[in-house]
Amino acid sequence: MQPMTPRRILGICALLGAVLFIAVVISLRLGAYPMSFRAIIESLYQNATGRGDQIPTDYQMVIFGLRLPRIAFGIIVGAALAVSGAGFQALLRNPLADPYVLGVSSGAALGAIVSLIFAPHVPLAMQGAAFAGAGITILGVYFLGRRGGQIDSSTLLLAGIISASFLSAIIMFLMTTLSGRDLRGMAFWLMGDLATPPQMPLGLLSFVTLAAIGAIYTTASDLNLILTGEQEAKHLGVNVARVKLVVYISASLLTGLAVSVSGAIGYVGLLVPHVMRMLFGSDYRILIPASALGGAIAIVAADTLARTVASPTELPVGAMTAIVGAPVFIYLLRRRVG
Amino acid sequence: MQVVHWDASLDSSDASREGPPRDFIRDEQRHNFRRKRATSNKRRAESRESGNLPRQQEPWPFARKGAASKPHLSRGAFLFEANFLRYKMRARKTIGRALTIAALASASLCAVPRTAANDSPRVVVDETGRRVTLPAEVHRIVSLAPNLTETIYALGAGARLAGDSDYCDVPEEAKSKPHIGAPVNPNLEAIIALKPDVVLASAAINWPATADALLKLGVPVYTTEPHTVDDMLVGITHIGAVIGAEAEANSLTTSLRARLDALAQALAGRAPRRVLFIVWDDPLISIGPHTFIADALRLSGGVSVLDVEQSWPHVSLEHVVKLQPEFLVFTGDHGDGETSKLEELRERKVWRELDAVKAGRVAFISGEVDRPAPKLIDAIEDLAKQLHPEAFAKPAEPGGAR
Repeated sequence: MQPMTPRRILGICALLGAVLFIAVVISLRLGAYPMSFRAIIESLYQNATGRGDQIPTDYQMVIFGLRLPRIAFGIIVGAALAVSGAGFQALLRNPLADPYVLGVSSGAALGAIVSLIFAPHVPLAMQGAAFAGAGITILGVYFLGRRGGQIDSSTLLLAGIISASFLSAIIMFLMTTLSGRDLRGMAFWLMGDLATPPQMPLGLLSFVTLAAIGAIYTTASDLNLILTGEQEAKHLGVNVARVKLVVYISASLLTGLAVSVSGAIGYVGLLVPHVMRMLFGSDYRILIPASALGGAIAIVAADTLARTVASPTELPVGAMTAIVGAPVFIYLLRRRVG
Repeated sequence: MQVVHWDASLDSSDASREGPPRDFIRDEQRHNFRRKRATSNKRRAESRESGNLPRQQEPWPFARKGAASKPHLSRGAFLFEANFLRYKMRARKTIGRALTIAALASASLCAVPRTAANDSPRVVVDETGRRVTLPAEVHRIVSLAPNLTETIYALGAGARLAGDSDYCDVPEEAKSKPHIGAPVNPNLEAIIALKPDVVLASAAINWPATADALLKLGVPVYTTEPHTVDDMLVGITHIGAVIGAEAEANSLTTSLRARLDALAQALAGRAPRRVLFIVWDDPLISIGPHTFIADALRLSGGVSVLDVEQSWPHVSLEHVVKLQPEFLVFTGDHGDGETSKLEELRERKVWRELDAVKAGRVAFISGEVDRPAPKLIDAIEDLAKQLHPEAFAKPAEPGGAR
């Protein structure tokens, strides 16, 4: 394994950043409204030089009103999901941990729905409730997954799967009893959907996401030690309880935020950290920034596919990540075994 | 700048319209509608939920849906204003649009009755309470729902329909128009690419978030919100005004109302049939009293046997056996389907024990029943003839119900 130097971290980030940039450019170019690269670059340039009024109205609407916000939200959601996945994998010392698999996304979705029933007009209530739902679920799964004081990998996963189906059943119950047939919109949202621009302050959202990712990053070296064993880490002077608390709160917050923006998108939190591990090694100091960028790339790409594959009909991005993600995951599993 | 306040104008025209007498249920309904319409738009919007269900019992749980009924407050949760975006867009708006908004603010309080059209944009309030700025003349229309597409064609404006949803299949020509995706999640870019003068949406099927997103982008969206057959007729008038087909809308609604009046006369004095309306037969889903279908059923001379408040109740067959409805009503094509369905039911356990199945009292109503559009009246008439054949076979006799 190569030594971890700041230079290497920066190099990897620059590489992934370049891939993300390419993904964003391609995503900006594709869509139901046909547009040339030239028109897009001209519009962006005109906007940057303060001559925004000269851009044709349609381009304004499509580029600045639809595609850019959607890409921005996609980047945030992808980064949040991938980092929370990496965080949960370290916290639970289980490579298969993921907000979706562990039921944390379902918990966040249930929290969001409950907040919409009881406090539909309170600002940030949904984000808060999604965070609370995520936090309570992971706590429940954590305790259900313990056996004789130790976390047992398969018990933990079973606990997560059971929690996910239990929470989904409650969501179904609430949706059918309270809204009858009119659950169409929610059903789409639950699948993970970025189609209608989420009406949320982008600045605040990106700030909180960055802060939570940063908080997890500060514990990266400690996480490396914890992964070798909690006792060993303790002996080496790591404050295990504090690290776990930081990761637990930050990862739940990230999941809650992602779910409140786009519903439950699966596989990103599971797959992206794995791919990054295979590419760059399992050092958390590189894994966390690489996962953030990788998650952003994954969601931007998946959402671009979701809105172009069957154009003009849009697919939910969650369906896209599952269609692509599940086979890739099986491949990764088989390869590891072999 | 001309401000149209349809509530005021339509209310008076509606009240002054003379029609033949109707049966008491219908009169009572009409009275309620008129009173409702007299209240302010906002209150009206608040007294309803989206979808085709009048707000009665069920609390509305999801803000994304609720945005249709409470346009301003319900921006909570899902619908936080993306301030950065709004300001960006607002700053970029053309001078003309800025003027429109300024004029809107000053003019929104005074309701000017609709008069002769001129060239300036019109500001209207749609059925969900959203303010919409429309161009004086509408040349390109995008419809987001099948019922609206059908209405546009019925108003003779099919040539001006620039695009419609994947589900728009009536009339046949609608299928060949450019599509903008499914009604629940239309492709916003595809809508913009069609350069519409106005987008028509229906709160019964479209998502409020779609209209909000389009309005924020500066695309005018007019949303109808029909909960009853009468709402649907009023909605046709509204659509006629939006797309500049007032005369067609008036003659269409007049003829539709005349047909409903004739139907009401034919059914006058007959007890409504006790009907089990089957939306879906496995699992068995029926209708509640506050649905669009329930209203259509009333006009067809039927009443649901179920006494539930839920809009789309999941009913146990056991309960149906206990209630023993006079008629089973299925949605679907009637014709050969009728006999084969009856045969199928006679094969099925429990179903074959029902009195209605034994006596062959199975009626069919076209799928149009769930589509608030002109053909709905055909469906209502058709069902009425199946439920009360004696009322149409010979001249109506007073007290002729069984």
